[in-house]
Amino acid sequence: MSEDLIPAVKIENLTKTFPVPFRKEKVVAVDNLSLSVKQGEVYGLIGPNGSGKSTTMKVLLGLISATSGNSSVFGMNSTETASRGSVGFLPENPYFYKYLTGAETIAFYGKLCGINRKEIKERTNELLKLVELEGARDRRLAGYSKGMLQRIGLAQALVGRPKLVVLDEPTAGVDPAGSRKIRDLIMQLKEQGITVILSSHLLEQVQEVCDRVGIIFEGKLVREGSLQELIEIENQTELVLENSNPDLLEKIKKLINDQEGVNLIRSGKPKTTLETLFLRETGGESRDAKNDS
Amino acid sequence: MTEANEKSFEDNLNSGFKIFSPSRVMAIAMNTFTQLVRMKVFYFLLIFSVLIIGANVLFLNFTFEQELKILQDVSFGAMTLFASIFSIVGTALLIPKDIEDRTLYTILTKPVPRFEYLIGKLLGILFLVAVSLVLMSILFFAVLYIRQYGILAEETNQIRGQPTAEQLSSLKETIFSQGLRLELLNGVIAIFLKASVAAAIALVVSTFASSTLFTIIVSLVIYFIGHAQSMALTYYFPEGDMHGALQRFIAGIVAIMFPNLQMYNVVDGIVSGQSVPFALMARLTGLTGFYLVIYSFVSWILFAKKEL
Repeated sequence: MSEDLIPAVKIENLTKTFPVPFRKEKVVAVDNLSLSVKQGEVYGLIGPNGSGKSTTMKVLLGLISATSGNSSVFGMNSTETASRGSVGFLPENPYFYKYLTGAETIAFYGKLCGINRKEIKERTNELLKLVELEGARDRRLAGYSKGMLQRIGLAQALVGRPKLVVLDEPTAGVDPAGSRKIRDLIMQLKEQGITVILSSHLLEQVQEVCDRVGIIFEGKLVREGSLQELIEIENQTELVLENSNPDLLEKIKKLINDQEGVNLIRSGKPKTTLETLFLRETGGESRDAKNDS
Repeated sequence: MTEANEKSFEDNLNSGFKIFSPSRVMAIAMNTFTQLVRMKVFYFLLIFSVLIIGANVLFLNFTFEQELKILQDVSFGAMTLFASIFSIVGTALLIPKDIEDRTLYTILTKPVPRFEYLIGKLLGILFLVAVSLVLMSILFFAVLYIRQYGILAEETNQIRGQPTAEQLSSLKETIFSQGLRLELLNGVIAIFLKASVAAAIALVVSTFASSTLFTIIVSLVIYFIGHAQSMALTYYFPEGDMHGALQRFIAGIVAIMFPNLQMYNVVDGIVSGQSVPFALMARLTGLTGFYLVIYSFVSWILFAKKEL
């Protein structure tokens, strides 16, 4: 059997409870959760605040231990430190050592991944280019904006050439242009066959990049499936016409009305998103990008 | 999936991972050192310089024996104070801050075992303390060297008439025996060893503490108790009475929880002109090694399963 069939992530019956000081009962953060992420897939984990997304990720990354159940990364128990060799992680609102420069930060995390001195230099240049922070390489992180910090965070997550990248709210607090850059980077990772687990409140973004989505609510996985399966309204069909005219529309409406059991629910001009409008009007460039140079 | 396939894939993942990697530890240690240096801790050298120059200026009217003694007392006192502050505050400041800022997440989600993180932090602090002590020693020894020649010139001038070679030699010997001498290095080493134990204490406390302030206060309390520990043990268990197994057990536990830091205070003797036997320095080094191993192990036990 091929190695590809080993899931990138497998979580089985995971339960995590936290004790409440001076009380007998415990808070159940994750309740008997099972999920599997295939290699090369972009998986979106969505749910309201406090639903157990971050706790699930922390168990997967060995930051906390499961009360019961198992989790594995490429077949290796995630409690083992070695399993982190194939993982890159970007926490929500990351704080890095602000006295280090961008290049020093990537080099530091590269050393932790066991990369040798010569390769670190090349890898640092490569990653700074990828996250478009070459212009800010020698600036201390104390002077970075939030968007730049997120991108340097993504660079440190990628420094060890991980096969799985876990991103917890990667675009939190980032402006639309910065957010789009991060989204483009996720798409690049997908093209390279890197598995991505993404937790986000921005559902539109999840919809754009994810192959499959799991919805967590009160510690339980309430829905899971491919994006198409989850959001498709099976008994409806959408037609979008370009350069049509009122006569043609009338004809189509009449044709529809003549069909028994078929209803026209709505017609009108499709809307662009506010984000697209914003990016078009601002030239798609954030101040971060300008600051970089 | 066959077991063989599973195993080969797991081996593949494991191939680049070492259970203990000195280069990872050094990366964390050097990062800790850089962090403290860039926090501008070396500004303390200015205070140290003011203190030793002040000690010189303020006590010019004293006899040269008193003057040299005060200079050494002040210098060793300041070195002990700075080394202890760096050890305790440095450790207390960095580990809880890494946890509060979640920087620790980005480190421990790399293939870095938790004990490597702790050892790296401790080594980084000890490296800073060592560099600080070297810099302070250079300043101290330079001032002492200049001063002893200054005193020699002043004392020579006070001899009526032309001093004989014998008089000069005797005067030089008297002054230099209380000036710059190799024995002072033992004092610096003892200060470093004591600061190392203090850093290890702060390391243990920081693994279960919830804040920097708590770590500093608890570590300082242990540090001060450590100076009174031997006195308390002698009072409660006079030597002749230390026969019972229970008494020995209690004394052992107290000695591990509160190391006998009074033992490291060899500088008073050195300043008074006594020499420190090699056996005592070897014992202090061994004891420090023992405390570093024990405290690092306890820190790892407490930190290994800590929920972050």
